[in-house]
Amino acid sequence: MAIDVRRLTKVFESGRRGARRTVEAVCDLSFAVERGERVAYIGPNGAGKSTSIKILTGILHPTQGEATVLGVVPWTDRRRLAARIGTLFGQRSLLWFELTPRQSYRMLAAIYGLDRQREQARVADLADLLDAGDLFDQPVRSLSLGQRMRCELAACMLHEPEVLFLDEPTIGLDLLAKQRFRELLVRLNVERGTTIFLTSHDVADIEHVALRAIVINHGSVIYDDEVAAMRRALLSTKLVEVGLSAPTALPPIVGVSVLEHSDAAVKLVVDTTATSIRHVLDDLLERLPVADISVVDPPLEQVIAAIYARPKL
Amino acid sequence: MTRRRWPQVTAGTAALRVVAERGSLAVTLGFYVIVVAVLAGLWRVAVGANGGDIAGYSVVAITWYVVCTEATTVSLNTRLIADLGRDIGSGAIAVELLRPAPVLGVRLAAELGRVLPRLAACGVVGALLAGLTAGAPPRPAALALAVPSLVLAVACNIVAQHAFAGVAFWIRDTGSAWFLYQKLVFILGGMLIPLEALPGWLERVASVLPFRAMSYAPARLAAGNLEPVLLVEQVAWLAVLLWGAGAVFRAGERRLQVLGG
Repeated sequence: MAIDVRRLTKVFESGRRGARRTVEAVCDLSFAVERGERVAYIGPNGAGKSTSIKILTGILHPTQGEATVLGVVPWTDRRRLAARIGTLFGQRSLLWFELTPRQSYRMLAAIYGLDRQREQARVADLADLLDAGDLFDQPVRSLSLGQRMRCELAACMLHEPEVLFLDEPTIGLDLLAKQRFRELLVRLNVERGTTIFLTSHDVADIEHVALRAIVINHGSVIYDDEVAAMRRALLSTKLVEVGLSAPTALPPIVGVSVLEHSDAAVKLVVDTTATSIRHVLDDLLERLPVADISVVDPPLEQVIAAIYARPKL
Repeated sequence: MTRRRWPQVTAGTAALRVVAERGSLAVTLGFYVIVVAVLAGLWRVAVGANGGDIAGYSVVAITWYVVCTEATTVSLNTRLIADLGRDIGSGAIAVELLRPAPVLGVRLAAELGRVLPRLAACGVVGALLAGLTAGAPPRPAALALAVPSLVLAVACNIVAQHAFAGVAFWIRDTGSAWFLYQKLVFILGGMLIPLEALPGWLERVASVLPFRAMSYAPARLAAGNLEPVLLVEQVAWLAVLLWGAGAVFRAGERRLQVLGG
């Protein structure tokens, strides 16, 4: 097993004596990740994602509970674990700005105990895998953000980590750079078996990289299933957007709930397990002054937002 | 193939940053020349007006003294405490805990790697300046000892700054720490004025503090005083400062791990 978390709790205390506040950032958190999985670890701001990742990487001690990463207890054996995991925290660079990536890799390789021969072999291998060979000998300051992130990914993969923790890795990248970065992550997982543990607020990161989503809120897991299962849940709902030619009240329709209603438009969610789209459309066209009508699949964001609102499992 | 030592590789890589920042090095050297010229000029006037000697320093000796003290100051990163304090206070330093090497060790190696090329450049320029304006070093054998002493001086300074900046693990503001530290080095480190010229009680205070190892020691050697015991003193202070900085960082990291950033 790559990651095994059992009833993890982290309580922070703040404030002065006599006016102490406690914040339960992580509460009875439990989940497991097998080697080779691609997992999206998501949740709203303040859900406990960063705290739990810091515990799993050994930066923080938990208040209660147990966890192992690759069989190692992170907070008691941090340095030994550090040699086996890679971390890419979006805002924090592993590379020195004035130097080329290759020059920074030399230092990182020494820190991770790679001899010169192995370092050169790894750099060549990563240049090929990440299609970044032409970038490694340019100063980091001259690279675009997308190019820099590929070099950052190479930096955190230099020592062949078994688990890769990524925190908002595509933040700030343009559409094409994001797409390319996601493809590289999948390739690392498929070709090298690297376990991917990704946090991101970008739904596309989840859709295109992860096979499984663990949703956390209020410090605990509230959803844990395949991303495909999320998508299957979508297929049971449709969004119907109706443009109105005149203000009108909405009659109740079985299997239909109102998302938005204004004088000019109405947005509805149709539960296709309770009624058919055809029936709903016929009903709307008959009873409302319809100027325009469209049927769309609801975005994944909506499903995730609905999950965020759930109580914990 | 043998495993490479990461401190040396880290320092060597950091030195490359100085080469990459040639413009910045040129500005530093320009500033150094101006400061040395002004201070040495002022001291020469003062020494001359005092009958050719102040606290045992002749015009030649005080010029070589100033060349050294300014080299140990100008070659350093003036933003070290502020940057390190910011990284600690913001929690950004936590990411450095994710490497299989001690945070303090990597930072010290990197900082030393950046400082040594700058120190070497200042040393060469300063020696030329002193030689041209004041004359040959009073005792070449003492100047030879000043070279390793300069390295020990900046090493002591860098380690001490890390210990000072480590207060950011407990308090957020390191601005006052940097200000206080700088003044202590200026006065008690003999940077502004040779320690022998201080009032007796202040000289005694300075003699038991580590700041004299950071500036005064190599300057006194370069001024012609063949006193190898100064290097022994520097090594001893370096060991004490390393222990102190290590203790601060270990305690700080434990606090970070329990209380969070």
